[in-house]
Amino acid sequence: MNRRKFLAFLGTAGVTSAISTARVAEAAPHTFPYYENSFGVLHDVTRCIGCRRCEAACQEVNHLPMPDKPFTDLAVTETRRRTTAYAWTVVNKYEVNGQPFFRKLQCYHCNDPACAAACFAKCFQKLPNGAVVYDGSQCVGCRYCMVACPFYVPGFQYDLAWDPLVQKCTFCEKRLKEGKLPGCVEACPVDAITFGKRSDLIKIARARIAANPEKYVDYVYGETDAGGTAWMVLAPRAGAVENPPDDLAVTGSEFSQLGMDTHLGTQPMSEYTYGALGAVPMIVAFWPVVFGGAYAITKRREAMNKAAMEKVKQKAKDGIVEAIDAAVRKIEETEGPGAADRARKAMTEALKDHEQKDSGHGEE
Amino acid sequence: MRKGTILLLLAAMAFAGVTCLSALGYASPQTNTLEPTDSGAPSAIVMFPLGEKPNPEASAMAPVAFNHLIHEKWMGKAGKDCIVCHHTGDPVACATCHTVQGSAEGGFVTLYTAMHAQKVAPRKEGTPASCVSCHNKQLANRNCAGCHKTLVKDKKVQNEAWCVVCHTKTPEMTKKQMEAGIAGKLPARQNEALAVKTALARKQADYWSPMKGPYKVVINELQGKYEPCVFNHRHHVASLMERIKDNKLAGAFHTDPATLCVTCHHNSPASVNPPKCVSCHSKTINPAEPDRPSLLAAYHLQCMSCHADMKVARPQKTDCTTCHKLRVQEGGK
Repeated sequence: MNRRKFLAFLGTAGVTSAISTARVAEAAPHTFPYYENSFGVLHDVTRCIGCRRCEAACQEVNHLPMPDKPFTDLAVTETRRRTTAYAWTVVNKYEVNGQPFFRKLQCYHCNDPACAAACFAKCFQKLPNGAVVYDGSQCVGCRYCMVACPFYVPGFQYDLAWDPLVQKCTFCEKRLKEGKLPGCVEACPVDAITFGKRSDLIKIARARIAANPEKYVDYVYGETDAGGTAWMVLAPRAGAVENPPDDLAVTGSEFSQLGMDTHLGTQPMSEYTYGALGAVPMIVAFWPVVFGGAYAITKRREAMNKAAMEKVKQKAKDGIVEAIDAAVRKIEETEGPGAADRARKAMTEALKDHEQKDSGHGEE
Repeated sequence: MRKGTILLLLAAMAFAGVTCLSALGYASPQTNTLEPTDSGAPSAIVMFPLGEKPNPEASAMAPVAFNHLIHEKWMGKAGKDCIVCHHTGDPVACATCHTVQGSAEGGFVTLYTAMHAQKVAPRKEGTPASCVSCHNKQLANRNCAGCHKTLVKDKKVQNEAWCVVCHTKTPEMTKKQMEAGIAGKLPARQNEALAVKTALARKQADYWSPMKGPYKVVINELQGKYEPCVFNHRHHVASLMERIKDNKLAGAFHTDPATLCVTCHHNSPASVNPPKCVSCHSKTINPAEPDRPSLLAAYHLQCMSCHADMKVARPQKTDCTTCHKLRVQEGGK
C-alpha cells in the first residue's frame, strides 16, 4: 500500500463513519417513542392552595421517611425547596405579579427523558403509560441523570454509604397498574392536579384558558417544552387588570415567576446529544478496525521489506565469500598454502572491518 | 258603656289599619310615568333597529325599551359622565350613526356591535361602552363575582331569556308604530310613552325564599380525617339574596326564581329538590372524564372559588377545621 492508496482508504472510512453517525442522529426521536395513550397530569396553579396534602400522600403511598417538619406546617412552602431522594414532590409558594400562588414540583415524566438518555446503565425507562421509571439494579451512582434533568428532579441517597441510589417520583407506576390514581392526585382536595390521558389534558387545558382568558396565561407548559412532558402546568395571569384590552402586553413572565424554566425549547434534551453520543459506538467499533488494519498492513510491509533486504545482503555477502575463496585458491596454486592462508586472513579481516564500518554507519 | 268603649276602640283600630294599608300603597296611585331626567333626555326610549334599507314589513328584532332614567341616575351615582355611552360628546341616539347595516358616520360599526360588543377596543380619546360590555363589567362586583366570575360563564347566561330582558315591547305598540319606529318616523312623545309603559311593565326578580331549601345540610358523603361538614344552606342563600336585593340590574336579569340556586346546583334543571353532588361527582375520578372533578374536589372548588371571588376573607383556604372538625380518634398528622 502506498501513501496515496492509504489516504484514499482513510477518506472513504471517514465518510462512511460520518454518514452512519448522521443516520443515528436522524433516528433519534424514535429511541423514545411518543406513546399515544400515555397518561399525564395537568397542574392548575390557579387552583392550588398549598395545603401539602399531595406531599403527605406521596410520603404515605411510597413509604418514604417522615420529613423533619410535619406536613401540617405550611410555612415550609415559603422556602423554595427542591425534590430530594426522600421527598419526591414538594409544593412551594411563589409570588406572581405580587400575588401568592403555589406550585407543585415533581418529576415531569418527559416524553423523551434526558435522564434516560444520559444514563449509560439504562436505569431509566419511559413506559407506554407515560411514567418515567428508574431501576437501580444497574445504577453505578454516576448521577449523570441528575445533571441531565432540565427540572433538577432526581435526588440521590447521599446519606447511604452502601449502594446509594437515585430516587424520584415514579408517577405511582405500581398504583397505575392496579388501576389506582397517583397518591398525590387522589389526595388533592381542589383538583389542582388533574389526571387523564395526556392528549385529553391538553384539550382540557385549552378549554380552561378559553373559558377564562383573564385568569390563565395562554400557554400550556409542558405541551412542547423539553420535547413535551406528561405533567403539564397552567399558570395564573394574576395582577392583570379586569377586562384587559386586547393590545395590553401581559408580562409573559408568569411561568418564570413560578420558578419554571421557559427556555428549554421544544426539542427533547437528549436530542442535543444524540448526534455526538450516537457516534460513540461507531468510533468504538469502527476506528480500531480501520487504524488497526492500517497499522497491520504497514507492519507487514516493513517485515517483507526487511526480509527482501536481508536476502539481497546475504546474496552479496555470499558473492564476496565465493570471490574470496576463488582468489585464495588461485593464490594457493601459484604462491603456496602459506601465502594463501595469509591472504585469506587479510581478506576476511578486511571484510569484517568493512562490515563493522557499514553497521557502524547504519547505527549512526 | 264598657262594651261601647271596646267597640269604639276596635273601630278606631280598624280605621287605623285601613289607613296604614292604603298609605302603604293600596290606595296610592300606580305611577304611570317615570320622573323626568336631570339631563332633559326622555326618561325612557324605545330603541328601534333603524336601517337604511326599506323595511316595509317591519320585520326586525323586538326593539329595546331603554330606561334612560335609571341608567342616568346610576351613572351619576358612579361619578360617570354621559360620554361613557355618548362617546362622541354629542347626546344623540345611537342609531344616528350605528345603523343596522352600519354607516360611514358610525365607522361601519353596526347597531348590533355597538350594543353587544363584549370587549371594546381601547381608544385614545376614551373607550366607549356597549350595553353588554358595561353590564359585563358590573359582574366583577364582589357581590356578583361569586357566581359570575368563574362558575357561570357567558355562554350559560346569554341564552334566549337573556335577550328578552331588553328586547321586549309593550303589547300596546301597534304594527304601524313599529313600522314608523324602524323608519325613524315615530314622534318622540309617542316613543317615550311606549318606552315608559314597557319599562314599567318590566318585573324585578322574585326569588325563591331561602325557606324553601333546607336549613342545614350535613355533608357526610366523604368521611376520613374530618367530621362531616355542617353546611348552613339557608344562611348562604339568604346572604346571596341580601347582597343583591337593591341591585336593579340583577333584578332585571335574574328572570328565573331559581337563578340563585343554579350556580351551585349546576348542570341540572332548576328544582327545589336538585340532585346530590355525588350523583355526578364520583368519589374517584374517571380517567375517561378527567375534567369532571372528584366529589372531594367538587365541594372544595365550588366553595373556595365563590368565597375567593366574593372576597370572603374567612375561612382561609388551608384552614380545614373551620368547615369540618378534625376527627378525634384518628388524630392529626
